[in-house]
Amino acid sequence: MKKSSGLAHDFWPRFRTGAILIVLGVELLILLLTAAVLLYFEIFENNLLLAIAILVGQAVLGILSTTIIMLYAVQPTKHLLAAIIHISGEPTNLTPPNPNDPRYANNGFKEVLQTLYELDSRRQNIDAPTSAGPAVVPTTDPLRLALDTTDCGFVVMDHTRHITYANRAAPVNIGEDGKGSLQLIFNGQDNLASWLDECDKTAVHSEKTWSRVPDRLPDAEGRRFFDVIVSYNKGATAETVIALVDRTKLYEIGEGELDFIAFAAHELRGPITVIRGYVDVLQGELEQYLQPDQKELFHRLTVSANRLSGYVNNILNTSRYDRRHLVLHLSEQTMLSIYNLISDDMALRASAQNRLLNVNIPTDLPTIAADPSSLSEVMGNLIDNAIKYSNEGGSIFVKAEPKGDMVEFSVTDQGIGMPSNVIGNLFQKFYRSHRSRETVAGTGIGLYVSKGIVESHGGTISVRSEEGRGSTFMVDIPTYASVAEKLKAGDNNTGLIDQGRGWIKNHSMYRS
Amino acid sequence: MPIHTILMIEDDRFIGEMYVRSLKKAGYDVTWMVDGNDGLIAARNKTYDVILMDVMLPERRGNDILEALRGKEDLIPKSKVIVLTNFEQDDESRMAMEKHADGYLIKAEITPSKLIDIIAQLDKTE
Repeated sequence: MKKSSGLAHDFWPRFRTGAILIVLGVELLILLLTAAVLLYFEIFENNLLLAIAILVGQAVLGILSTTIIMLYAVQPTKHLLAAIIHISGEPTNLTPPNPNDPRYANNGFKEVLQTLYELDSRRQNIDAPTSAGPAVVPTTDPLRLALDTTDCGFVVMDHTRHITYANRAAPVNIGEDGKGSLQLIFNGQDNLASWLDECDKTAVHSEKTWSRVPDRLPDAEGRRFFDVIVSYNKGATAETVIALVDRTKLYEIGEGELDFIAFAAHELRGPITVIRGYVDVLQGELEQYLQPDQKELFHRLTVSANRLSGYVNNILNTSRYDRRHLVLHLSEQTMLSIYNLISDDMALRASAQNRLLNVNIPTDLPTIAADPSSLSEVMGNLIDNAIKYSNEGGSIFVKAEPKGDMVEFSVTDQGIGMPSNVIGNLFQKFYRSHRSRETVAGTGIGLYVSKGIVESHGGTISVRSEEGRGSTFMVDIPTYASVAEKLKAGDNNTGLIDQGRGWIKNHSMYRS
Repeated sequence: MPIHTILMIEDDRFIGEMYVRSLKKAGYDVTWMVDGNDGLIAARNKTYDVILMDVMLPERRGNDILEALRGKEDLIPKSKVIVLTNFEQDDESRMAMEKHADGYLIKAEITPSKLIDIIAQLDKTE
């Protein structure tokens, strides 16, 4: 049997073209007939102008009626088709129609869409054998009682994302206006709101799970952790259903790990301090006696000790980021002043490994909102990578330039580059490309934590690479002017900007 | 008055000796205390131009010393305090210390010569 390889969405262009052609054809036919009748019976023989006026009028009416016909007869077909395409799971960039659209409520199309979507969820239930229906249909009261007894949170939201139901265990805050809001702290961009935005645009049914989502900031009293399971059903009364499994007991142990890592870092940093310190002291005191090659050895010692200390910072930041402990203090800075924090170290690092470091960071760039020490760690990571993945004697270009509301910091190397399939995974934790595992030392947390830090600034990190030609990593950080208002408005309890120190409490990490 | 006397409260022998050696060579008069209690007593008994203070100290933690010296009233108005630590404190404790200190540095991030630069800078802002 020959199976048709056509897709449902192929139908729409054909149908639309057909419909337009048929309607226009019929209009034209009527027009011609009218003209023929007028001519044949010589009705307006003496008044050709009137005859033409009638014909033109008819043509205009024809176009008008075509439009109306398209709207009332053809448009619903398109929406039906869009719904079917989405249910079928065909790839598409059509927006699935929303039954709660007011125009559908008026003309009754809402019911049609709802029926369609319900049919689909029924089909999915049959597909999934585990979700057998309850043996007894509970009445509301025992159900509510049960929901309020369990430690699992349940929250239901309608299509406007208003909370219509929340049980007792759910981390929901009731605001002054009586409206509830979900109290969850997601990490960066991967949050519920953005996922729902995505669903509104592209999905009919969807489900997603987040694990280890806290409801409060670190050290807050009664902080809980949840695994959050969200299901989305477009157009259902309960459009979004959120189940929150309280995993505090499990993840609390993990919270203790931060203490462990902080103590481990303390122990590691002790010897690093001494090594770095005495290398510096000895080099200074022995300067006049040292041969050039011995000086080079000192450079290598310094570079190695510095890298070690940078690496401890990466570990600490990764641990904090993963546990939502990473808090940045954004203040008005320049790219150059931040780069200057590490410029000596970078120059030494590049020269010790025989790379040419070209730095071009203009002094007159717009100021940025940044946390100096964190952002300088990002810069250090990128330059470190550029050194690692380029060849002896190669050039590394460090640049900064304005880019709209951002200032872009970029690091370009002329090294081995990457194939495109590697780039997608590059910013994942512990990711190392197959090749780099074999040839280059490292652990794969540098880019991961850099991305975390940059995104916590409200910025973006990206990469352009060509295999064999080299890579460019770009970090875009918002200008201070573009976010100053937001920073000032973001926190009411500390007054936000302590003028004396220029600390700004940043809450971009804690957007829920 | 230029900075001359320095009190250092540091329990790690290697780190302590290293800083004392470099600071003395740079011409400062350095007093070194190893535990927190002795450090607090020394800071109360005599006025130092600069106090360098570790956080993880035996007997009494750096944050407690700072609280005792500058919490209710400023007992050391003429001194500058630099917190020198390798311990990654949580944000709140760190901010609390920064409020009472003139500097907060990670030891692993600096070298003795850098520390001397920073003290010289404090001198300029005086």
